[in-house]
Amino acid sequence: MSAAIPSVACLGVIGRNNNPLHISIFPSYDPLANAFTPIRNPLQFSLLLSSTIDVFDLRSKNSTASGDYGLLHAIDDRLAAYGFETNTGVRMVCIVDMRGRRVEAGGSGAVGVGAGLRDAELKPVFRAMQSAYVRLLQNPFYDPDEHAPLGGKGGKRITSKKFGDAMKRIGEAWTPGVTTL
Amino acid sequence: MAASKASRIGEETRIDKVNAELVTLTYGTIVAQLCKDFEDDYPEVNRQLDKMGYNIGLRLIEDYLAKSNTMKRCSNFRETADMISRVGFKIFLNITPQVTNWTADNNSFSLVFDENPFADFVELPDDGRAQNELWYSNILCGVLRGALEMVQMQVEAHFISDVLRGNDTTEMRVTLIRYIDDELPPEDD
Repeated sequence: MSAAIPSVACLGVIGRNNNPLHISIFPSYDPLANAFTPIRNPLQFSLLLSSTIDVFDLRSKNSTASGDYGLLHAIDDRLAAYGFETNTGVRMVCIVDMRGRRVEAGGSGAVGVGAGLRDAELKPVFRAMQSAYVRLLQNPFYDPDEHAPLGGKGGKRITSKKFGDAMKRIGEAWTPGVTTL
Repeated sequence: MAASKASRIGEETRIDKVNAELVTLTYGTIVAQLCKDFEDDYPEVNRQLDKMGYNIGLRLIEDYLAKSNTMKRCSNFRETADMISRVGFKIFLNITPQVTNWTADNNSFSLVFDENPFADFVELPDDGRAQNELWYSNILCGVLRGALEMVQMQVEAHFISDVLRGNDTTEMRVTLIRYIDDELPPEDD
């Protein structure tokens, strides 16, 4: 017997101008096809990320000190969006698929199955995303002004391969109970 | 000179003053700005970095001599290489590049950088040219050239590989051209 455990379905970084900076999509396990496929298409993920912006806006009024917004909204019985915002207005969103991966039941990996996720479980993801973002900013050839110009309009996406690789690594490595990424 | 003595000098005289990230970011900004100013003419950026390094080297050598307390001249180029790596780089960057790949005539060696504090965090622009044309840390070549010129050695230094370009190592080739024995000032750059 196997059991489903949560996995990351999508990682998004949103700039201070509400512009998309980065989107990584991760395939979930599909028991019917016995294969890994993304459970939404890129456009749908993009829309889900856009919809979190409103939640960030609403929540920012009763400001959280840490920047960790925890669960933003549960999209359906499988998908849930968690968020984090830095003081510079960069928002990081992690969309979790509650049944994205399989583990053999009884194995030591099947912690907290079906119990939902505590907000703290996502902390390592956001910490890792933030440090990847910090490393990106330290690259002298990355010009933050290009990616979120003053004036509140637009901005280019992140093209850094290193950053993309870091996101991929984070998304693939995370499972509930992981403390460092 | 025994390698251990050189390492001891380099160890004792190391002085921390500046936060390493400040240096890294400052140098990065210089390179990025040069790329912008010369409109991504990378060979020209390399030349400018080398020139800046040369002017730094001319001054830095005095500081090096003061800090390292080495009154004695190096007796041969091999010893010079050892002092550059274990004392010079140790004092100013707190790294010790390996000295390898000597030519048979002892006039040319490689410095292999296991770590390069200038290149932390750096990712070269993805325009298809920077990876082949820009030597990000080229300022170091100029520094060596300038510093050695002040102690009567004319050298030629250039990078031959860089991890930033996807190579396995960062390697600089240093070649002794001649010892300058006359008192005349060397030709201007």
